[in-house]
Amino acid sequence: MVALCVVLGVVVLLLAVLVAGLLRSHADILKALHDLGAGVGDPADASGHDHAAAGRDPGQVAVPLTMGPALAPDRDSTSAPAVVGVTPTGDALAVAPATSGGLTLLAFLSTGCASCAGFWEAFRRPDHLGLPPATRLVVVTKGPEREIAGEVAALAAPGLRVLMSSDGWTDYEVPGSPFFVLIDGSSGRRIGEGVANQMSQVAELVRRAEVDATAFSLDTRPGRDIGLDGPQRESANDAELLAAGILPGDPSLYPESLEDLYGPPDARMPSATRHVRRVG
Amino acid sequence: MHAHGIGVGLPAGFEGRIFKRQGNGIEVTNPVAQFATFALPDEVGDFGGGAVQLMGNDDIFAVLFEYSAESVGTRLFAHQGMPRELGTGDFQPQVLRRGLTGQAGTQWFFTESGRPFTFYAVIGSHARRSVLVPRVNQLLAGLTVDPVPAPAGSGAPWN
Repeated sequence: MVALCVVLGVVVLLLAVLVAGLLRSHADILKALHDLGAGVGDPADASGHDHAAAGRDPGQVAVPLTMGPALAPDRDSTSAPAVVGVTPTGDALAVAPATSGGLTLLAFLSTGCASCAGFWEAFRRPDHLGLPPATRLVVVTKGPEREIAGEVAALAAPGLRVLMSSDGWTDYEVPGSPFFVLIDGSSGRRIGEGVANQMSQVAELVRRAEVDATAFSLDTRPGRDIGLDGPQRESANDAELLAAGILPGDPSLYPESLEDLYGPPDARMPSATRHVRRVG
Repeated sequence: MHAHGIGVGLPAGFEGRIFKRQGNGIEVTNPVAQFATFALPDEVGDFGGGAVQLMGNDDIFAVLFEYSAESVGTRLFAHQGMPRELGTGDFQPQVLRRGLTGQAGTQWFFTESGRPFTFYAVIGSHARRSVLVPRVNQLLAGLTVDPVPAPAGSGAPWN
């Protein structure tokens, strides 16, 4: 009987020591978490940090708990801020898709991701992308601090608009690459975004969004229909002159007076002249 | 955005680019900065050819074009400093590289930070200049030009 009591006493003593050890260990863990700022309440609350600092050993280093950058007050899930960065050749470039008037497709790609390789390759054949003709395609990689400009330049097709901007990835909350965002410039809003593995999927996204945008279009930017411009304009003029039999060196190309341009005064505005004569 | 010694804090609604055209090995290309409130096409002439006809009535196109250093000190670039506050009277329909009905333009030649420039701006509607010119002034307020870097060997000799 005495032996049984002794054994029970020893067992109870051992259990008491074990529980005390567990409580001590738990208290140490809680204290460490509290010192890291992960205590109860808002971590941004300065009073909480001050309370922790009061009992901190001088040798301990404070570790701030970062909650991520604050969003601009005018930001929401459909806003389309300008993307500002540099090109792989070192030029500066800013694209404001919300003011473009048409559709802008932002393709967030990386040089290292395997899924992106197909898109870099597809963008070498812009006529086969299947995008509406007026769609502006802009490839956005992370900035020069995260991507090597030379590698981006090597992947980019000639004429492809490529912008290196880490801020652009943050502004559009890009989860990873490849990622696509479609912006309707007439409304200034994001109308589609998501991940795709093939260009055909992206083209289908754009096609559907274009149909929606057309159905609810509020476009106020008619532009100016003035025909051809630049070299095409000059070529068209030359073709018209040739068709009329006017060759280089023709005297009519070198007028010396208004009569050379408009003919004799009596020949100008013939209908008006006839009208005046009839009245007179 | 900043490149080639030109910087700008773009006002809301503007996009732009600061670039140098590729030279042919003989000619020297200088920086060009173009800004617009509409989508700039890929191929745009230095002074907006190919772009100004895309402008709506409430649009703005502007270019800051640098000339070669030999132009510094000439009469054309005698004015020191970039214009920062333009008036509605500074925009005229006849000051346009490409005359388009309704538009108006302005052009200034000056030297800024020892570098010769011209600033050329087009507004989509002369009738709406009271609204558009302040936006041009917002753009001008954010433009900066870095000084010409000192040529190599002009500093104190290394001892």
